[in-house]
Amino acid sequence: MAQTKLTKKNRLRELLVTLLPIAALLILFGVLCMVVSSRGYRLDMYLRIIFNEGVVLAVVATGAIFIYSLGSFDISLGASTLFSATIGVLVYNSTQSLPLMILTIFGVAVGCSLLSSVLASVFHIPVFVTTVAMMSVLSAVAAQIITTKGGALGGIGIPAAVVEPLDNLPFKLAVLAVFAVLCVFVFNFTKIGRRLKFLGSNPVCAKLSGIKVNVYAIIAFVMAGLGVGLGAFLTLVYTPSVTPTTAGSIGMNILVAIVFGGMPISGGSRSRIYAAIVGGFSYILLNNILKIVIDSGAGYGISQIVSAVFFLAVVYVTSMNYRTKLLPR
Amino acid sequence: MEPILEMKHIRKTFSSTVALGDVSLEVWPGEVRGLIGENGSGKSTISSIAAGMQKADSGEMVFQGKPWNPKSMIDALQHGVGMIVQESGTISGVTVAENIFLAELGQFKKLGIIDRRAMNKKADEALRAIGVNDVHGSTPLAALDFQTRKLVEIAKVVMKQPRILVVDETTTALSQNGRDILYDIIKRFRKEGKAVLFISHDLEEIMEVCDTLTVLRDGARIRDFRKEEFDPDAIRTSMIGRELQGDYYRGDFTPSRLDEVALRAEHLRSGDALKDVSIDFHRGEIVGIGGLSHCGMHTLGKILFGAEHPEAGSVTTADGTKITNETAAMKHGIGYVAKDRDVESLALNTSIRDNIAIAGMERYAIGNFLVTGLKERPYVDAQIKSLSVKCSDRDQLVSQLSGGNKQRVVFGKWIGRGSEILILDCPTRGVDIGVKKAMYELMDQLKREGKAIIMISEELPELMGMADRLIIMKDGVIMKEFARSRELSDAEIIKYMI
Ligand SMILES: Nc1ncnc2c1ncn2[C@@H]1O[C@H](COP(=O)(O)OP(=O)(O)OP(=O)(O)O)[C@@H](O)[C@H]1O
Ligand SMILES: [Mg+2]
Repeated sequence: MAQTKLTKKNRLRELLVTLLPIAALLILFGVLCMVVSSRGYRLDMYLRIIFNEGVVLAVVATGAIFIYSLGSFDISLGASTLFSATIGVLVYNSTQSLPLMILTIFGVAVGCSLLSSVLASVFHIPVFVTTVAMMSVLSAVAAQIITTKGGALGGIGIPAAVVEPLDNLPFKLAVLAVFAVLCVFVFNFTKIGRRLKFLGSNPVCAKLSGIKVNVYAIIAFVMAGLGVGLGAFLTLVYTPSVTPTTAGSIGMNILVAIVFGGMPISGGSRSRIYAAIVGGFSYILLNNILKIVIDSGAGYGISQIVSAVFFLAVVYVTSMNYRTKLLPR
Repeated sequence: MEPILEMKHIRKTFSSTVALGDVSLEVWPGEVRGLIGENGSGKSTISSIAAGMQKADSGEMVFQGKPWNPKSMIDALQHGVGMIVQESGTISGVTVAENIFLAELGQFKKLGIIDRRAMNKKADEALRAIGVNDVHGSTPLAALDFQTRKLVEIAKVVMKQPRILVVDETTTALSQNGRDILYDIIKRFRKEGKAVLFISHDLEEIMEVCDTLTVLRDGARIRDFRKEEFDPDAIRTSMIGRELQGDYYRGDFTPSRLDEVALRAEHLRSGDALKDVSIDFHRGEIVGIGGLSHCGMHTLGKILFGAEHPEAGSVTTADGTKITNETAAMKHGIGYVAKDRDVESLALNTSIRDNIAIAGMERYAIGNFLVTGLKERPYVDAQIKSLSVKCSDRDQLVSQLSGGNKQRVVFGKWIGRGSEILILDCPTRGVDIGVKKAMYELMDQLKREGKAIIMISEELPELMGMADRLIIMKDGVIMKEFARSRELSDAEIIKYMI
């Protein structure tokens, strides 16, 4: 009797943890509608922007969950999104083949991820070193290519007509949904996902439970690479061109988005795929709200500060909840 | 005379789990009071409330005549109640000295910079004061084994000269010389008119060390025993609430085993820990490995499981495969219950379900890839049931379990997957006598099923009680092998250990 009560209570708490980020998303959505209409802007235009930005962030973040569940991180994912999109444009322009472009984008994205993970896990270079190095190198090379090829235009692109048929809501939603379902499946219903989460919870114990730490780190990065590839592709579908600043801040935004989605940055068993999707859209909403409210009025950059404060607050609250359960017995 | 500490009507619940119903406890000057009870009976909870680690829901405490409401463990220690916790109470990223002075680094600050030399010196002094001579303040804690870390923790607490020392299930982590250090401290406390609250599952030890005993059961104080009333059977009966007679080891005294060798260790060498060790482990045999903490037996356990690499020599299974990593070991049916439970055997902030399921996925995966709750849940539940883990449900976090129940989860993790060869490093650490009995029976049953069991332990009685063959190690060398027999005497065995 007492046991079922406890179980129920746990379930309730679990449910609440799940629902809180969704509630936040809805509230942010409401606030955006209010802010936009009070300023007399066009709501449909804003929703379009937010959807397109949100889809890209959500897709890349969904793949990144695999890395974050290990308790690791990768801020170079934005740079590799830019880099793979850039190479994709080059390939299209020299072959005129859409399938080849898509293949290239995925190949390059997964390749970058593999490189990061091999550097980190096989050569034991600390993650924050590899990720910052990868970020600088990839964005520098991409910028170099873009300015060389793009010249005065400041960007390179593919003809809009090529991707025009794909630039619509159902297609993008479908892409996001398929990828999310795939990731949820791998994450929760395969040995791979279960082992990744366990590895994030306690690497020492995971190793002593027969989990090959390096192998799983590489798998995680490959999954993240797939997300990057999709993100790069969707970016091209939305704006068929790339500039040196395309996708620039995605790397950091993922971190914020995942936390907004209610997942602890320490990874482990409380990692959830939906955190990426819910958090991704929440973050983009918040960002746009702040842009309208603050930047249009006062100094630029304040929105960054506000969202950073928001971020720290969320981290504090989630980790507080976490700490109280840790008693050495 | 007034008690040093009085705890009145303490109640503590976790959701609907009642850890302590209404428990009163007093500790008198010069008293060493033992707390005994089954796993989950509330021993750690009541003592950690006294030591400021957590707060009671209701009830009051009086310490040296004044109301006692410590804000934290550090606060409690500053004011006179120190506790050595059941699991690791140290932090591994920093040095020994930093661990000892964690809360008061300020006192070593000179112009804003910490004077490490002075701090290390003070740490050395604290360690020497309790008789630990081979550990230095500047050593990184990560370099030390479990026992030595415990000693560092003891030095840290004793240095503050508390009026009451709480020792929660610590001795099972220590080998004989570590225990002697602790016993000396306890004697000193008694002589100086201070007090000790001592928790142990080892009945013999607790009767030896303590002046009075308080038995807890299901969060209630059952009864007290004064020294002259100590009687093992009576204490056990009041712990469990029913009678549990005499012996719980194997009944037979004839060594037996199957001919087939399950695992073969050949010429293993590893630094100072192992110097040319060769052993054949047979199916259907329980091999006990004993010695002092540093004799190399713990390293041997790790190497047998492929978790550490020997400098020379090899570990081979029956089919000739060399075991060089954990994955290979598990593929060949080897299971390993590590000594450092909270770090090596369990992911604490993860559910019981995940912890048990992680090692057994081959057992219920569909097509070597797919894992669904449909088959996983019954698998996990079966382990919880067969080891009677006391928990609210399978999704409860392991960190919320009492020490002994954590160990049952570890056993479930390895036995559930059908391990053919079990390496058990201190398997009954922190486990109450009821579970111990169950575990010994389980080992006996596994032996009869033809499994190979390697039991590494610091407790001679259980080695003598369970092993078909007892191997004694010292300084990385096998000193002596004893066959199971009624005539074995601990005096004879100890001679080879020291
Ligand atoms: N943080 C917590 N959350 C939920 N339940 C808890 C928590 N801490 C303790 N409990 C429960 O309270 C009860 C008493 O636990 P306690 O750790 O005091 O037992 P114990 O007597 O020390 O056992 P052991 O001998 O196994 O160490 C157990 O049922 C345990 O599961
Ligand atoms: Mg305990």
